[in-house]
Amino acid sequence: MNVLLAILWKDLLVEWRSRERVVAMLIFSLLVVVVFHFALPGGATAQTRDTAPGLLWVAYVFAALLGLGRAFTLELENDALSALALVPADRGWVFLGKGAANLVILAVVQAVTAAVFGLVFAIDLASIALPLAGVVALGSLGLCSVGTLFAAVAARTRFREVMLPLLLLPLLIPVLSGAVRATSVLLTTGELPFEPVQLLLVTDAAYLVVSFLCFEYVLDE
Amino acid sequence: MSAPADHTLKPRTLWASGLTLAVLAAAAAALVFTAPIDDTQGVIQKILYVHVPCAFSAYLGFAITAVAGALYLWRNDEIFDRVAAAAAEVGVLFCTLMILSGPIWAKGTWGHWWAWDPRLTVTLLLWFVYLAYLLLRSFTEGSARTARFAAVYGILGLFVVPLNYFAIELFGGAAMHPENLERGSLGAGMRWPFAMAVVAGIAAFVHLLLLRVDLGARRAAAELSAREGEFAD
Amino acid sequence: MTNTAISARGLEKRFGHAIALRGVDLEIPAGASLAVLGPNGAGKTTLLRLVAGLVRPTAGSLRIAGHRAGARKARARVGWMGHATSLYAALTARENLIFAARLHGVSDVAQRVDALLAEVGLERAADRAAGGFSHGMAQRLSIARGLVHDPEVVLLDEPFNGLDRRAAEALAERLVGLRRGGRTLVLVTHDAQRAARVADSAIVLSDGRIATRLGGSGLDPTELENAYLAATDRRP
Repeated sequence: MNVLLAILWKDLLVEWRSRERVVAMLIFSLLVVVVFHFALPGGATAQTRDTAPGLLWVAYVFAALLGLGRAFTLELENDALSALALVPADRGWVFLGKGAANLVILAVVQAVTAAVFGLVFAIDLASIALPLAGVVALGSLGLCSVGTLFAAVAARTRFREVMLPLLLLPLLIPVLSGAVRATSVLLTTGELPFEPVQLLLVTDAAYLVVSFLCFEYVLDE
Repeated sequence: MSAPADHTLKPRTLWASGLTLAVLAAAAAALVFTAPIDDTQGVIQKILYVHVPCAFSAYLGFAITAVAGALYLWRNDEIFDRVAAAAAEVGVLFCTLMILSGPIWAKGTWGHWWAWDPRLTVTLLLWFVYLAYLLLRSFTEGSARTARFAAVYGILGLFVVPLNYFAIELFGGAAMHPENLERGSLGAGMRWPFAMAVVAGIAAFVHLLLLRVDLGARRAAAELSAREGEFAD
Repeated sequence: MTNTAISARGLEKRFGHAIALRGVDLEIPAGASLAVLGPNGAGKTTLLRLVAGLVRPTAGSLRIAGHRAGARKARARVGWMGHATSLYAALTARENLIFAARLHGVSDVAQRVDALLAEVGLERAADRAAGGFSHGMAQRLSIARGLVHDPEVVLLDEPFNGLDRRAAEALAERLVGLRRGGRTLVLVTHDAQRAARVADSAIVLSDGRIATRLGGSGLDPTELENAYLAATDRRP
């Protein structure tokens, strides 16, 4: 537990000092909204708001990929990864600490992106803010769990920027599927549907547990 | 450079290949000559004699990759990694055949090449997982690291199949796949050719898998003896 | 706690089909200090990483204070100072040490960090970002980080690299001081003279094997230097 909190503190502190990742992810997300406007035949307006849930999650996935791609660069620069590998605790806690930090940074970007989406598509988010936050949290948990695991893997391969999306996207389909459906139903009816949330819970549980156990092997060598 | 792997064909390999080809030929004959033409779908339905065995092999292949990977992580024995890599290479072949044969059947029956039929979609995802697995293997440096990373990905990748089927169940996707395949109530006269096709498909898969594992072992042995030669001075 | 700090038998490490280390047998009693020399590529860093538990052996056994190298109990007893500093440039010296202390579950973090900063002479630079440190200061901080959990076994990979004479002397003094504290040291270096000062025994590696073993109660710098040169010349 100490390890988790130590890493969470350190990552957020480092991020706070430079704010590189957060700013890059934010600007990228806003750019993506603009691109969506030009990609949709009717533009991104109140009339096309049924495309919003899907597009929102696409934006989230892209932002997450951007952030996760940078998650381990500092550790690689000064071989701080060896120091993490030598921690006298279950390495899964290192995974949780890193994952938690990634989640927090992503959450900041997601909140702003959601607000922009609400503005552009003329959707009243305030009334569903809490359940929406819940869905986003569940989806992001799935994103960041396997995301952090494979960020560590991809960081130590050739072509790491390409490797990470290739590895992650097939795995993220169940997360995307559940999250988009849940968001869509929430936006149209104002209520949280059970089935998609169930899918998210099952997926998150599976990914979290397996990633925790596998992280041990990812820090070797 | 390293010595080339010993590529001489052993007699027992020739026998095994011969046997596999014989089974495949018999299945092909059965499917062309004895299997009846389906009432509703016509002759195009016969592609399922290829498509379904490929499905077994594709899914079996990735299951083997994942399990062998897990065993490698547990035991740290190179042989498990060799099996995992071989199963992935052979499995992706059958998965590709599935992805190619599926649309051929679709065009013949529904009139268009692709539809987001749930089962075909999951197969497509599996195909991507296979490809990502193989790319990961080629882009990682160091055989121990490659084996370890690949094993981790194999394990997580396996979840894609049940999770997506779970999603299909929850959301009730439009089932365009022919019902008789899952319920097992094949039309009259189809059972034997179908069984032969499945047996032939799995035989081909196993044979190719064993060949590939053997090739991996020979390459490793060749490299090792080359290195030993370097040190012997 | 056993008396043997590090025990290796038939240790072997292959990277794919390249053999980095083979047939390594070592017994290092607690409190001893071993210098590891040899030409580049001889397997020195690999040996050190094996002892640290960063890398798993392909064959043979390796135990640290009775525990398998790489196991959690072994990791808790080992302090590592590698080629790279493992420091975060954006964090101050103090923060870097606090982080390391928390990772290792050190109980009185603030006190320990202050003591370490004093020990390596970085109190005045404590609240400066590590990114701005000179090489010598970074090395000192890196050592402090390696010692944060008061490990029994201290592993150093070419610590004298890039240090000027004064800094190298100071470091050698510090290492001798660590030994007096009863710790076991394993030091990879090219600097035979300093190695002879700091260590009481040495091995010279060549092509993944131990070519020469020297010392036991002390080292003669000339003898060590010669053994090192011999191994370097033996290279193809």
